Amino acid sequence: MSASASTAAHDHGPDENKYQLYVQIAMLLAVLTGIEIVAIFFPFAPWIIVTTLVVLSVVKFLFVIFYFMHLRWDKPFCTILFAIGLVLGGGTLWVLLLLFGAQDSFPLTSILD
Amino acid sequence: MSMDASVKTHFTGSEAPAPTRAAVFWRPTAKTGFVSWLTTVDHKKIGFLYGVFALFFFLVGGFEALLIRIQLAVPNNDFLTAQRYNELFTMHGTTMIFLAVMPLSAAFFNYIMPLQIGARDVAFPRLNAFSLWTFVAGAIVINLGWFMPDGAPDGGWFGYAPLTSKQFSPDHSIDTWVMGLQLLGVASIAASLNFIVTIINLRAPGMTMMRLPVFTWMTLVTAFLIVLSFPAITIALVELMMDRLFGTSFFEVSNGGMPILWQHLFWIFGHPEVYILILPAMGIISEILPTFSRKPLFGYPIVVFSGATIGFLGFAVWSHHMFTTGMGTVATAAFALATMAIAVPTGVKIFNWIGTLWGGHLMMRTPMMFALGFVWMFMMGGFSGIMHSAAPADAQQQDSYFVVAHFHYVLIGGSIFALLAGIHYWFPLMFGRKVSEFWGKLSFWVIFAGFNITFFPMHFLGLNGMPRRTFTYDENLGWNAPNFIATVGAMILGLGIFVYFAVMVYTYFRGEKVKRDYWDGRTLEWSLPSPPPEYNFAVTPTVHARDAWWYEKEHKEEIAKEKAEHAKEDAAHGGIHMPFQSIYPFVTSVGILIGAIGVCAVDYGHKLPVALAGGAIMLIGIYLWAMEGNEGYHIQPNEEDLKS
Amino acid sequence: MSSHAAHAPIDHHHDHTTSTGIPNKKLLMWTFLASDCMFFGMLIATHLVYRLHPPPGAPAAQDIFSIELTSFSTFILLMSSLMMALAVNAIQKGNLKSMRWSLLTTIVFGAIFLWCQVYEFDHFVKDRNFTLTNSLFGSTFYTLTGTHGTHVAIGVLWLIMMYVRSFQPRDTAKDRTWFLRNVLHVAAVTGVVLFAMFAVLNLVHVIQAGTGLGAFFSGSIWLLVGLAVTTAASVHFAKPRGPVAFDESNAIDVESMGLYWHFVDIVWIVIFTAVYLLEYV
Repeated sequence: MSASASTAAHDHGPDENKYQLYVQIAMLLAVLTGIEIVAIFFPFAPWIIVTTLVVLSVVKFLFVIFYFMHLRWDKPFCTILFAIGLVLGGGTLWVLLLLFGAQDSFPLTSILD
Repeated sequence: MSMDASVKTHFTGSEAPAPTRAAVFWRPTAKTGFVSWLTTVDHKKIGFLYGVFALFFFLVGGFEALLIRIQLAVPNNDFLTAQRYNELFTMHGTTMIFLAVMPLSAAFFNYIMPLQIGARDVAFPRLNAFSLWTFVAGAIVINLGWFMPDGAPDGGWFGYAPLTSKQFSPDHSIDTWVMGLQLLGVASIAASLNFIVTIINLRAPGMTMMRLPVFTWMTLVTAFLIVLSFPAITIALVELMMDRLFGTSFFEVSNGGMPILWQHLFWIFGHPEVYILILPAMGIISEILPTFSRKPLFGYPIVVFSGATIGFLGFAVWSHHMFTTGMGTVATAAFALATMAIAVPTGVKIFNWIGTLWGGHLMMRTPMMFALGFVWMFMMGGFSGIMHSAAPADAQQQDSYFVVAHFHYVLIGGSIFALLAGIHYWFPLMFGRKVSEFWGKLSFWVIFAGFNITFFPMHFLGLNGMPRRTFTYDENLGWNAPNFIATVGAMILGLGIFVYFAVMVYTYFRGEKVKRDYWDGRTLEWSLPSPPPEYNFAVTPTVHARDAWWYEKEHKEEIAKEKAEHAKEDAAHGGIHMPFQSIYPFVTSVGILIGAIGVCAVDYGHKLPVALAGGAIMLIGIYLWAMEGNEGYHIQPNEEDLKS
Repeated sequence: MSSHAAHAPIDHHHDHTTSTGIPNKKLLMWTFLASDCMFFGMLIATHLVYRLHPPPGAPAAQDIFSIELTSFSTFILLMSSLMMALAVNAIQKGNLKSMRWSLLTTIVFGAIFLWCQVYEFDHFVKDRNFTLTNSLFGSTFYTLTGTHGTHVAIGVLWLIMMYVRSFQPRDTAKDRTWFLRNVLHVAAVTGVVLFAMFAVLNLVHVIQAGTGLGAFFSGSIWLLVGLAVTTAASVHFAKPRGPVAFDESNAIDVESMGLYWHFVDIVWIVIFTAVYLLEYV
């Protein structure tokens, strides 16, 4: 299946655009990182800042996996495969945070007191 | 194991390597002899090696168990010291799980799965060899303690912190446990990545996912479980090793560390691990029951779906091993619920196996005996399991012999029975000989009796309060008779295993030879000669239905025409493409072995040079492996194979 | 497995010899990355659990971290990811020269990231009394970022090997010294980077001190000579003496390596937020 330049759909854009696209995304990622770094100095409530940071990180993450790692143009199975690992890892991490944060798992007294 | 000596090997001109290859890139071509085993990349030979090592360690683990039972036969016994006892139950568990059941399953994954999907080998043959040799390296490291003054690992197969910290386990024994497990983890993950790519990408034309034999499906689910759960124990072991070697505080309470974290990380791995141990067994049973009932598997889609569900839910139940650690009511209830849920797909499978038997023309041969034993014994293990899932009841059962009874019913009555069944079942295919029915059945009954006599009393021992992992007990606790009975049962079980092994060894050398498709099987591996030629299929089959071989037997003319066409195409391409053998997977594993020994077994002051030397050998092995190229060579299939 | 003839156009997104059309190596790498998600997930979980429930007397991260340095290294890693994507793109179009330049830049940026991390660790230990063993925070921080750094180092090693491999001649019998020449090439490039870095550092000092360009040239003359020599050497040793055995059919190997490198970058995206930035909130 040879890539014909002119009439290709969005999936297989002309080769020149891929180069430009990558550079544009890299610029975007740099900007997002810059926003993250200044965000921590904003005078807002912590939960707003944390949410902003998480959202920005997720956006960067998604851009890298879908564009740099080519998932957008690959067979969906690759995305599903990675998503399994991601969801399992993220889900286990979340459950661990809950388990250690659960109030009734804290000892009533601590040896450190 | 005889390789087909009549195969003609030739190197076609355009594929010939460059006129002068550096000496370091010699191509091993030996097909027999010691070097051929070290350099093999053939999935059948690798599977055979896994099997041989697994059966050896099965005997080692069994011997360790017999020593344990002798110690516990009578109260206040002094056959073993407490220290020795701790080493034995630790190594019995570790050996049986990681060096016996898992590699025995791997033997079947390797040998049978590519044949069932119509492939010539796995996707990455050299990586396959690397997995095998790294497994051997891990087995060596973990058993080093027997030969060292520090002794074998003694912290239990689950190595709870802070017992395994430097403070309470100052010598090298726990280090060898940690590094051995890391090596075994690397081997398992590499092999599983290979199997996943093979099953997804190397299926014969027409072999859709829903036409795969159930054993292959279970191989796939198990491989996913391995690649997703082993990282958790890898990290737990890394953190433990950092604490022991470099003074970090991951599990060091005085610096704010929480030992309970070890339990979480370990069981996040440990629970999927038990499904890793049982799913291949369920896959084997799902092949044997249809063959010996002369009926297709009942409810194939739901059996497959249940297997996948068990795998997935298996990641959500780990804290049921921690019900008594004070996690709080919400967490405890959540995990109890999830554990109960997982019983549903398991039960569904059992009903489907019964449905397979129902109305079938049952052939009560030895593999069928073991398979029926599996269904019943695994069910009993499941009953005690569901009793554990109720957290309040578990508060009494935890850390008692009730748990020991439970997991031995599912692991011996389940996994081992199925693996022993699989050996009997596929023996004629792999070695072209049949096992005597009389001796096979005799070994089954002795094993069955011995197993139940050993472990059934343990349910009562547990409910009557006998704790696990204690080297002796006092005489007035009411535990004397059941312990004695259990020991007698263990001896009978040992005798049964001995008969089983003796029969196998005898049959391997002197058993009656048989032709192909000895059991009139349903799946593609039975379409091959016994034993299969090096290239597996003379012509890659085209699959038209589930139970592909059964379809071929029912539609002989159609298949014969197809085969003739494909044979012409293959010949036009220059023949069958085979991978080159290589020494570099072995070299890489040797490097890893030396490196691991440097980290765990050598004294401070000498660790670094040994570890670095091992690391250097490993890197050289990897580099040469990457550079030697994988062009392979071409083979013409045998005339008889083309005509079959 | 059999090498593709150069005349048939290669579809880099579809491998007709596999059941799904996904190339085997790509599938292998994605599955491995799914596994690595669990791996880093558990390490990050350990770190976060212990930061959410710290022991009394735990060091304050804001007093230790230098967000400027870490931001710089984050940016560098991001750019290396871009370069990697461009390298893959180049070899898929058969543009070997462009691939080599992009690969080289990826290596340099990756090496800079590692150097920044080493410098950061050294600074923390020496100037902030923040070590692996004197606090739980240190245990989790160094283990997590160190494991990530190890992944980067393995990647850099792999990238260098791939870079050198792209110079392998088709007939190794005729050109027996190719490997040695390429080792020298890599060494010369290392020299270029080091000389350039120190020259730039000197320039910065000179500008800050306001002593004028003349002082810069006289103080850095040996650096500039070294820079010229190593540049010439790297160009000389890189010249292939015949056709090389590396073309579009090797793109799958570069792409698989690219997936690994991008993954290391996205793990850093998570670590930068979870380990560094969140400490300031």
